Amino acid sequence: MTLAVEMKGIRKVFPGVVANDSVDFAVQEGEIHALVGENGAGKTTLMNVLFGLYFAEAGSIQIRGQPVHIRKNADAIALGIGMVHQSFKLVPSFTVAENITLGAEPRKGIFVDREAVRDSVLEISERFGLKVDPEARVMDLPVGVQQRVEILKALYREADVLILDEPTAVLTPQETDEFFGVVRSLVAGGKTVIFITHKLREVLEISDRVTVMRDGAVVGTKDTKDTDVAELARMMVGREVLLRVEKRNAELGEIVLRVDNLRVRDDRHQIAVRGVSLEVRAGEILGVAGVMGNGQRELVEAIVGLRPAVGGTIYVSGKEITPLSVRERRESGMSCIPEDRYVRGLALPATIQDNLVACSYYKAPMSKGPLLELDTIASSAETAIKTFDVRTTGKDVPAFTLSGGNLQKVVIARELSSDPNLLIAAQPTRGLDIGSIEFVLQRIIDARDGGTAVLLVSAELDEVMSLSDRIVVLYEGKIVGTIDGAHATEQGLGLWMAGISDEDVEEEAKEAAHV
Amino acid sequence: MSNTAGALSRTLGKFLRRSVGIVLSILAGVFVGSLIMIWYKQNPVEIYGQLLKGAYGSQRSLFIGLQRATPLIFTALASTLAFRTGVFNVGVEGQFFIGAIAGTYVGYAFQMPAIIHLPLTLLTGFVAGAAWAFVPTLMRQKLGVSEIVTTIMTNYIATFLISYLTNYPMRADPTTPDTPPIMPTARLPQFIEMTRESANPLGKGTQAHLGILVAVAVVAVMYFIFKRTKIGFEWRMVGISFPFSEFAGMNLDRTFISGMLVSGGLAGLGGSVEIMGVWREYKNLFATGFGFKGNLAALLGGQSILGSTVAALFYGSMEAGALGLEWSAGIPRQLIDIVVGLIIFFMAAEGMWDFVKRIKWARAPEEERRTTQELEA
Repeated sequence: MTLAVEMKGIRKVFPGVVANDSVDFAVQEGEIHALVGENGAGKTTLMNVLFGLYFAEAGSIQIRGQPVHIRKNADAIALGIGMVHQSFKLVPSFTVAENITLGAEPRKGIFVDREAVRDSVLEISERFGLKVDPEARVMDLPVGVQQRVEILKALYREADVLILDEPTAVLTPQETDEFFGVVRSLVAGGKTVIFITHKLREVLEISDRVTVMRDGAVVGTKDTKDTDVAELARMMVGREVLLRVEKRNAELGEIVLRVDNLRVRDDRHQIAVRGVSLEVRAGEILGVAGVMGNGQRELVEAIVGLRPAVGGTIYVSGKEITPLSVRERRESGMSCIPEDRYVRGLALPATIQDNLVACSYYKAPMSKGPLLELDTIASSAETAIKTFDVRTTGKDVPAFTLSGGNLQKVVIARELSSDPNLLIAAQPTRGLDIGSIEFVLQRIIDARDGGTAVLLVSAELDEVMSLSDRIVVLYEGKIVGTIDGAHATEQGLGLWMAGISDEDVEEEAKEAAHV
Repeated sequence: MSNTAGALSRTLGKFLRRSVGIVLSILAGVFVGSLIMIWYKQNPVEIYGQLLKGAYGSQRSLFIGLQRATPLIFTALASTLAFRTGVFNVGVEGQFFIGAIAGTYVGYAFQMPAIIHLPLTLLTGFVAGAAWAFVPTLMRQKLGVSEIVTTIMTNYIATFLISYLTNYPMRADPTTPDTPPIMPTARLPQFIEMTRESANPLGKGTQAHLGILVAVAVVAVMYFIFKRTKIGFEWRMVGISFPFSEFAGMNLDRTFISGMLVSGGLAGLGGSVEIMGVWREYKNLFATGFGFKGNLAALLGGQSILGSTVAALFYGSMEAGALGLEWSAGIPRQLIDIVVGLIIFFMAAEGMWDFVKRIKWARAPEEERRTTQELEA
């Protein structure tokens, strides 16, 4: 069996960090090779080296047995390597065909040969069974189709080795299944696929072989059929992992959060939340599942007070908070772990101490009259760093020196230090490694056991299912279904996430019965 | 213990890195300046020698530098405050002159003991500058007009308004558009005025005045506000990140308005101090560029309160040096402006490099962001 790609002794250093350290990585021609590891393990760096986006300090690369020097992106593309990044790189206002051929258009004189563009796009899309409408504008397409466009873009440039970076992060379970079909058809068409992910079940389902990375080094490569989730997880983390979070039965209290027929607009002034009503009780975790971009962001921002509601009311502990400011809402016992910790959750250039005190600096004991009580602030910051196990050299270093997991700990330390009645947790584990995920989830459960009402908004179905006492599914700004956490199944939630409500299913069943 | 030492060495390291940057920028500016001088068939070594002598060579040059630096400290602080609170106040120049003309009016129109007159005149300058900054503030809050545009425009309005005032209602002299002189009770004494009779007169042949003490006091107060007060904390955080501060529950309107008003107030205070100490009457457009030089000093000083104060002092002594150069060697002082401009250019270039690194860092995937600290832990 020939090797499509062989990387040997790859070393890549960023200021202060060894991202890849003597990494050996080999992919056989025609296989689906999963590359797994926690965030920060060095997977993307390694693939960026292969794709010519980074230049490694040491190591060699062979493509189909030939030693090559990949100095820039164009070298990699010329060698038949294609990469689909986690965040798509498409021009939203261009058509599918324009995006696919951009920069490599068939020409007629100095003009782009539009017909040739369309024909060649149709040709590849048929060859690999990747259905797209070449004339559709990318901005009108669902995420799953945009991803297909990205893959076609690589195929159009005659990629033989396709690197897919976390391709399923943005997909529903159904879209994921469909996507796996696409991957298999690529391999059937003679391509080689490198599949970066941290979802172990996907690894088992789709890959032929799997390479696990940890802390910038390769832990091992296995044939997928000879391994299982537990072993892979152990290799990733270096210890046994709790895949299910332990929690006791909910002790429900009063209704803390009540949202009544809430309507909210998004940044483009489109209605993004269309009449959502929900309740969360003290000691309960209500999970909001759904594919990202179905109104979750707007729902959270409206509850926290960062975005006005165009209709409906929000109550916290029986008091209407709809007209209140963010601070007044926080004063009424609300806390929030925001979706975007780098923008909302933290001021990265500010010190850890300043980040920790940013919600409480204005009142006793952190201040007295107009003056800050610097000693109290310092000691409380030190306590928080200790209690929440923030790995830092001190409270006075800028936040941006911390890793993602430690940054989230800072956010959580701040938001839980007020002992909130209500915690809004939006994508609380996004981008974190398994160790940090465990920590964050445990803190959320602790808060719930302490009588806090928790609204958990997450795109990770596993997370919603293992944490929530009740689950609602948001689809296009509406709640399409509600279910007890204990009774939820991935298939059921997946249908709802795809916008298929129970009524639809029943109707279909009826129709089937009629026929 | 090791923690304290670590923090100390980090602070020291930061300071050193920054100092190296400043020194390199100065050297680069001086070097390119030399090329320009050689182009004009001048001897750079001699010119720089004269410049340093003119800036630091005698008590007199030091006092001239101090006098020149005094207004710049105020405008540099005004700019720094605006930068740090995330406000774009490009109207420091106009606010400075509005403060000056308002101070002039209170200075000549009222008679009262110095103990009231002095602080009242200072206060008037502050309030007038703040009031002038309030117009763009209001337009931004009520109409959503960018303060960048409106603060620039209010500079012109200030110039023409003052031109009208000194030509008509406030005019004292039929031949030139000057206001009446301010009362002695509203004057900040010059060092020479206080020590003329003594054996060692200070600041002979200069107009350096006690306004420098007002400036130092204001620096101390601003430093305290930034480090120790709630509003200072809010200013800092909002200046660092709007979205974060909003999320944390801070009132962005309040920090914007207060930041703008205090910035304008500091500029206006500088204007009244300049009148009370140096000019003692308003001569139409007695000088210009205080706002812009202050802005440069703020950039030079890394937008920190102490840094921009030091930079303003440096800028002041460079002006003194340039003045000496003009007198002694007939070298146009614009040459020195060019050198200072080059130094700031190189510093900005260095800052840009930092900025680029920051952006690259912020856009890099998570795995690249981990630091040695984390790996050591």
